[in-house]
Amino acid sequence: MAINISTAISRETVSELLNENIVIQTNNLSLYYTPEKSALKNVNIQIPEKKVTAFIGPSGCGKSTLLRNFNRMNDLIPGIKIEGKILINGKNIYDPDVELEDLRKRVGMVFQKSNPFPMSIWENIAFGPKVNGLSNKKDIDEIVEESLRQADLWKEVKERLNESALDLSGGQQQRLCIARALANKPEIILMDEPASALDPISTGKIEETIDELRNNYTIVIVTHNMQQAARISDYTAFMMVGELVEFNDTNTLFTHPDKKLTEEYITGRFG
Amino acid sequence: MNQASKKFFKKGDPYVLLTSLGLLISLGMVLWLLAIVLVKGLGIFWPRELVQINLKGENVYLGELWNSGKEISENEFEQIVEEEKTQLKIGNRDLYGYDFIWISDKEIKTMTKPQNAAVFERSEYGNLYGFILQVNLNNEIVTDSSELFNEAEKGISLAHELKIKLDEIEEEYNTLLTPLNKIQREISLLKVNSDFLTDEEAKRLNLLKEEENKLTESINQPRIVLEEKISTLKERLNSFTVNVITANGDETLMQLKNVVRLYQPNEMGIFGKSIHYVQNLWEFLSGEPRESNTEGGVFPAIFGTVMMVILMSILVVPFGVLAAVYLNEYAKQGALTRIIRLSVNNLAGVPSIVFGIFGLGFFIYIVGGSIDQFFFSDKLPAPTFGTGGILWASLTLALLTLPVVVVATEEGILAVPKANKDGALALGATKWQMIKKVVLPNAMPGILTGLILAISRGAGEVAPLMITGVVKLAPDMPLDFNFPFFHLDRKFMHLGFHIYDVGFQSPNVEAAIPMVYSTALLLIAIVVFLNLLAIYLRNRLRKKYKSSSF
Ligand SMILES: Nc1ncnc2c1ncn2[C@@H]1O[C@H](COP(=O)(O)OP(=O)(O)OP(=O)(O)O)[C@@H](O)[C@H]1O
Ligand SMILES: [Mg+2]
Repeated sequence: MAINISTAISRETVSELLNENIVIQTNNLSLYYTPEKSALKNVNIQIPEKKVTAFIGPSGCGKSTLLRNFNRMNDLIPGIKIEGKILINGKNIYDPDVELEDLRKRVGMVFQKSNPFPMSIWENIAFGPKVNGLSNKKDIDEIVEESLRQADLWKEVKERLNESALDLSGGQQQRLCIARALANKPEIILMDEPASALDPISTGKIEETIDELRNNYTIVIVTHNMQQAARISDYTAFMMVGELVEFNDTNTLFTHPDKKLTEEYITGRFG
Repeated sequence: MNQASKKFFKKGDPYVLLTSLGLLISLGMVLWLLAIVLVKGLGIFWPRELVQINLKGENVYLGELWNSGKEISENEFEQIVEEEKTQLKIGNRDLYGYDFIWISDKEIKTMTKPQNAAVFERSEYGNLYGFILQVNLNNEIVTDSSELFNEAEKGISLAHELKIKLDEIEEEYNTLLTPLNKIQREISLLKVNSDFLTDEEAKRLNLLKEEENKLTESINQPRIVLEEKISTLKERLNSFTVNVITANGDETLMQLKNVVRLYQPNEMGIFGKSIHYVQNLWEFLSGEPRESNTEGGVFPAIFGTVMMVILMSILVVPFGVLAAVYLNEYAKQGALTRIIRLSVNNLAGVPSIVFGIFGLGFFIYIVGGSIDQFFFSDKLPAPTFGTGGILWASLTLALLTLPVVVVATEEGILAVPKANKDGALALGATKWQMIKKVVLPNAMPGILTGLILAISRGAGEVAPLMITGVVKLAPDMPLDFNFPFFHLDRKFMHLGFHIYDVGFQSPNVEAAIPMVYSTALLLIAIVVFLNLLAIYLRNRLRKKYKSSSF
């Protein structure tokens, strides 16, 4: 796959990425919430397959905005304007023949604040498969168990699948949301600060879950916690005021960042 | 103003007092209203004892003590005096022409409660008060005073049985004659314009005449048998009579088939009275009205009210919910949606009679008229749907209550967390799937709140119904065992209208007052019951869909 050489991506990373299969690629992506205010400016990024990619950057720099573009959740915002291309597996997701529901099925999402539906645990997980046309109870049962296992939640909830999901603890609810996203068998999972509202133990569990998923899914995660990014991600993107400053191998980015801005940010001299 | 009182006002104590006073007054008025309706509405079913009043003159009256009051008048020395007076329900309208009299207390010589005084509740002319002289049971005459009451009761139940049998046979007779009647009707229609008949029609007339003759002959035998049966039964029924003497000494003969109930209140113990009370209450709830609605039961009105409210709910909830969903989820928010919201809210303030007139003009004349033209043209000019009926009344009320449902549903929809909506969409749900699976279930408590408000408003509304299908006395219920079971074109009775009709339109207002209270109580009870049902449902749903607490 052709790689767009941009200043944000270091030479070594480019050569590294050449060996990877690129799943998400943006070409000069700009986004305006209002005509005067751009939230993303000419972002060019390549996200490799079956790796964990972290987005870091100061608050309001556009991490969530970029992430939400990958499954077109931004489409709903009135007055929004998006320029440039987002290619997923080489296909521009804004092409008219791309079906929105199908895209969202392939690109799952976990939100910052856990948002289980006020239904039973089982129904929460079954929601995705059901709206995507599955109706056989046995098949769905299988998917429910598998997804819960993948999210490390099966042992805790297998006895109470019919109880309300709202009775779970905060950490369990978030893992339920991960399982819910997994039930659609997506290729990509987008996570927007999935652990920011959780205690350290729950956070650890989420990180474990991500670690187990990394071999089978492409994961893009937004985080404010730099240690977390360093711990779990293979690649890291550092953003500032809507621009992609540096995209690099996580190790390199945190030890020998290419850009001065990055260094200032990770050493805490900034913001 | 001195320091202390300044502080007093600053602290707001007087306003607290004022607010609590306001609450107290409103609560007090509601409780007062309820108490009056309860006491008067339920008290009427208790059997009252019969009092015989002998006046200083000749007159003797027997009846129920009804009311007492004071009369202010001038005496012969031009002084203003107050006189106590008593109202007595003397019944016997067929004999004296009026049910109630006022008696000045100073004219009363004695007041007694004769043991064997009896009350006959009749299907016509109201109650008869008097003493049983003689009971005639199909040629068997009873005059033994200890037997009289029991025999009369036995006679009443026998007469009722006979009446049922007679009704059955008459029904049979009617079905036997139906085909013949149909032919005869067609013949008479053809005969009316016999001068202008086409050949075909003339042929048809001859054919019909032949058929008529044939049919007449064939059913002749069973017809005569039935007619004989009917006349013997009628004769037998008429032989069940009772001779009654009133307190004044007037004697009257009464057919037992016209007696609904007979009792001797002065001989009843508390137990007997209780049974009588329950019977009365049951008759009120389950019986048909009698005597231009001032007696008997209100079952048709209960049925009409409940059915209308249910129909209204079935109509208004889907419309209101769909409108609210569109307004909130699909419509582009802007000036137009604001105007629509404002109009919907203002619709709630339109006087109900305006809705009634709209219902009459649009639903009945235009929609109903067109339905008649297309589907019931054979019955024209007699209208089927082109006249008031339960469907049009329910539709009118649905329109009237639409704003509350829309507004409440909107509130429910707005309360659905955005995170849940986004979550559903992110899982690949279409917008409609998201609305169906996330928004509507979550908004259900709001929808039910709307329904509760709609029921409260709709069940008590009378004005728009009066021109869209309510009647004083409906011959048939809108739901029965005859195909197609639901007769939405039929007129119906309604408790609210019943109150108005009985209380203000009846020829015998005095006798109708208790009915007004009982009916009002019943209407309140039904509205409360329907509301409780909806509230129960809502609470169950609330528990299920308590929003994410985390
Ligand atoms: N719906 C919206 N309408 C208008 N502006 C928005 C909207 N969402 C985000 N923005 C603006 O876009 C910019 C980027 O926001 P975004 O949420 O992507 O930041 P972020 O990097 O995720 O920040 P944080 O780390 O605090 O979550 C911010 O300036 C924000 O105010
Ligand atoms: Mg964010």
